[in-house]
Amino acid sequence: MPRRLRLASWRGALALCLVLAGAQQLAAAGLIQAKAWLAPLLIERAWQRTASAADQIRPWPWADTWPVARLRVPARRLSRLVLAGATGNALAFGPGHARASAPPGSAGLVVIAAHRDTHFAFLREVGPGERIELELPGGALRRYRVESTRVVDSRREALPVRGERDALLLVTCFPFGALRAGGPLRYVVSARPEDPPRTLAGPPAAPAPR
Amino acid sequence: MLASRACYLLARDLRDTGSIRLWLLLRGLSMLVLASLLLLLCSVVPARAAQPEHLGQADLNTLQSGQLLLQDAPGGTYAAALLQASKVHVDISGMIATVALEQSFSNDSQRWFEGVYAFPLPEGAAVRTMEMVVGERRIIGKIREKTQAQEIYRQAKQAGKKASLVEQQRPNLFTNRVANIAPGERITVRLEYVQPVTYVAGEFSLRLPTTITPRYMPGAPLAPGSEEEQPAALSVNPYLGWAVPTDQVPDADAISPPLHPRHGAEQSPLNPIAITARLDMGMPLARVASAYHDIAMERRAGVYTLRLAGGVSEMDRDFVLNWRPVTGAAPVAALFGEQVGDEHFGLLLVVPPAPERAPPAMPRKLIFVVDTSGSMGGVSIAQARESVASALQQLRPEDRFNVIQFNSTHHTLFPAPVAATPGNVQRALAFVRQLDASGGTEMLGALRAALAPPGAADPVAQQAPLTQVVFITDGAVGNEAALFREIASRLGENRLFTVGIGSAPNSWFMRKAAQFGRGSYTHIGEVNEVDAKMTGLFARLARPAAVNLTVDWPVPVETWPERLPDLYHGEPLVVAVNFGSAPPAGEVVVRAELGGQHWSTRLQVAGGADPATRAQHDGVASLWARYKIAGLLDQLTSGRSEASVREAVLAVALQHQLLSPYTSFIAVEQTVVRPASEDLARTALANTAPRGQAPQTFAYPATATTGPAKVWCGLLLLFVGLLAHLLRQSEPCETERATAPAPR
Repeated sequence: MPRRLRLASWRGALALCLVLAGAQQLAAAGLIQAKAWLAPLLIERAWQRTASAADQIRPWPWADTWPVARLRVPARRLSRLVLAGATGNALAFGPGHARASAPPGSAGLVVIAAHRDTHFAFLREVGPGERIELELPGGALRRYRVESTRVVDSRREALPVRGERDALLLVTCFPFGALRAGGPLRYVVSARPEDPPRTLAGPPAAPAPR
Repeated sequence: MLASRACYLLARDLRDTGSIRLWLLLRGLSMLVLASLLLLLCSVVPARAAQPEHLGQADLNTLQSGQLLLQDAPGGTYAAALLQASKVHVDISGMIATVALEQSFSNDSQRWFEGVYAFPLPEGAAVRTMEMVVGERRIIGKIREKTQAQEIYRQAKQAGKKASLVEQQRPNLFTNRVANIAPGERITVRLEYVQPVTYVAGEFSLRLPTTITPRYMPGAPLAPGSEEEQPAALSVNPYLGWAVPTDQVPDADAISPPLHPRHGAEQSPLNPIAITARLDMGMPLARVASAYHDIAMERRAGVYTLRLAGGVSEMDRDFVLNWRPVTGAAPVAALFGEQVGDEHFGLLLVVPPAPERAPPAMPRKLIFVVDTSGSMGGVSIAQARESVASALQQLRPEDRFNVIQFNSTHHTLFPAPVAATPGNVQRALAFVRQLDASGGTEMLGALRAALAPPGAADPVAQQAPLTQVVFITDGAVGNEAALFREIASRLGENRLFTVGIGSAPNSWFMRKAAQFGRGSYTHIGEVNEVDAKMTGLFARLARPAAVNLTVDWPVPVETWPERLPDLYHGEPLVVAVNFGSAPPAGEVVVRAELGGQHWSTRLQVAGGADPATRAQHDGVASLWARYKIAGLLDQLTSGRSEASVREAVLAVALQHQLLSPYTSFIAVEQTVVRPASEDLARTALANTAPRGQAPQTFAYPATATTGPAKVWCGLLLLFVGLLAHLLRQSEPCETERATAPAPR
């Protein structure tokens, strides 16, 4: 039998294998993105039913996380529901609130983290001066303004959750667009509150009469 | 179309080969291998592709942590430019251990480096000599006042001379900084210290810590808004720790060395340590054992020599050596002496006897305080849970108890202490079982709750049983002094017993908290020790302590500690004494009250003016000075001004050439080695994470998906696959021609 024929069909099968493997990889990547953008539809429904911080309404019965706040960047028309816990199980579906930090809406340091390739991909464009809003269960609103951005090495620095600093930290992986997951660098956007925590009861706080 | 064609080709090829098995062997196998090879290639390619971007985005000259990027090996794995290795030789003779510690720093990079290494030492260590070894040259370190030493070091560093500065940050936490380590060079710093051997309940023990559990720093960060890491600019010699100074822990950056992000391995340690020891007790021993390391041992003429069985070990847990004299040979009283210049020093050891008959069991009140902060994560919280469970099961029905757990806040199980009925104990056991470790270590609140005076609602308040607080923690906090003050001021008639948990607990905190709490301390390093240690602790809680101790000396002397502690069952009295210029002679009388009875013992001091007849015990003088420094520093908690304490400590430390909070060792080589054209990079050397500890909750979360890598890999595979297909497509006519003539 001519060798050339064998070689040719052999190549064909190889090409098929490669195409299949490639498709599998792309499908896996697609699944990550699909989870990231479809889950918020369910989370949104849970959020509608969340009236207070103690509610803990799970978006689907077997979920181990629940929405705790809504993060908005008005200038970019962005809105993300923040889930409880900044571990992998929550971050697959949305930004997560680090439990070690202050609860959203309180006067402490609130830390929210999300994946750089899904929910926090927009962080690379966020610069100082931009306004970020945090909507709490019940409709109360807390406004922050971005103060600075910086890169930290997570092997050397801990989350600055101690102390009484009143601020919002948005954390994601750095560098953006890198292929490898699990790198040591983090991109941190820190924002300061515009209004003191007292006034977060009503959306536009009326100045107190003197 | 593609699929049908592939099927057709596959079928034809199968027919050509003959048997399906043969085909699988010939084609299937080779194809599988090729495919897996390609996949492997794909998973490597992205890693290398990521690197240039990584270096390109951060400007090395402006980024504060510039040197760190250099430490990033291609692919992002951590490879430090400076490596540390330790070597320890312990010489134990009687109650005193002399330890020689060598720390080598080797520079594997192409740059000049300054390294900062924070390391632990036993809390009672009197560090008395230091030298820096560069190749064949030895430079003897000198003791200097702290700021003066820092200035000498700074000048040497800037001038390009090799220098080493060893400072005390806590009695059990030190920093060593070495300047101008040339590319490819190794610098060794040798320290020698003396420490007393612990002798409790008939067993001797020696503990050498090797790593530092990351401490929680309470308080608000200093210089608000300075998140961009100001200390580097503020201080001339930054410590490069991960923590930001806070109002409660102003030196947080000095006591927070970075940790290696992954756990160490015994075979290829991140921070290797070699330990050898010589044990000469001058008495027959029944048992010599190391609790957490495998050791190889040899005995010759009653002297034991031992070393680590594997040669080196990872620095991720305390090294503990225990030994026990044969029954009947246990020492009851001894006085070790040393003459330095014309001064005579002594170390007195007296073990009070066990009370003759067991006293009637008194009802008692026990409060268990459990640390559930993030640093307890992993094996530590399991040990803590087991400890409380073991203790709860040893309670008697007439006892009253409560359980407090704390991390960022504290939570008390029962509003007031309750009787240890089976129901209450079950409830407490269920509460303890679900304890989990996360959050900060806000100890003050929990201590206040535990030491609060009994309220009026307490029905047995008039009987007022002694409240015994059992405090179970790893002591990983930065504000130890504030906690000691709190304990001392609130103690009242309560007693505080500490239980140190984990692979690398803060032993200084355990010992001092127990001292101020007038209790005792226990260490638990593994779950299987819990039952034995808790039973030992309960034996101590149950028996009466020796109180109101006094020692009568034949001559006027200066002794430390100032106030003699209460002694629990099995604990010895240890007093360091300075006899002055007269050689000691006469009789020492020790008196105490033991379970309502008077007890005394007499000890003849082997006098005689002839120094040749007196045994000299090396290290006694250094230990006396160390006890004095510790005693003087304790006076800070009782309100003595820092300035006067500092002056007194300085005098002792300078006279005895000891490391202290106010004195440091500095060694400088006189020749300038670093050319002015070369920059000096600096880095902190990472400690190994304590064995079994879970990642910290205050670590940054992982925030990248594998999505981009998958997309990249998928696209590459598709591209190569289609390319192969296209190459095939361009050949069919050739194939046709080759097959066509076959039938002819």
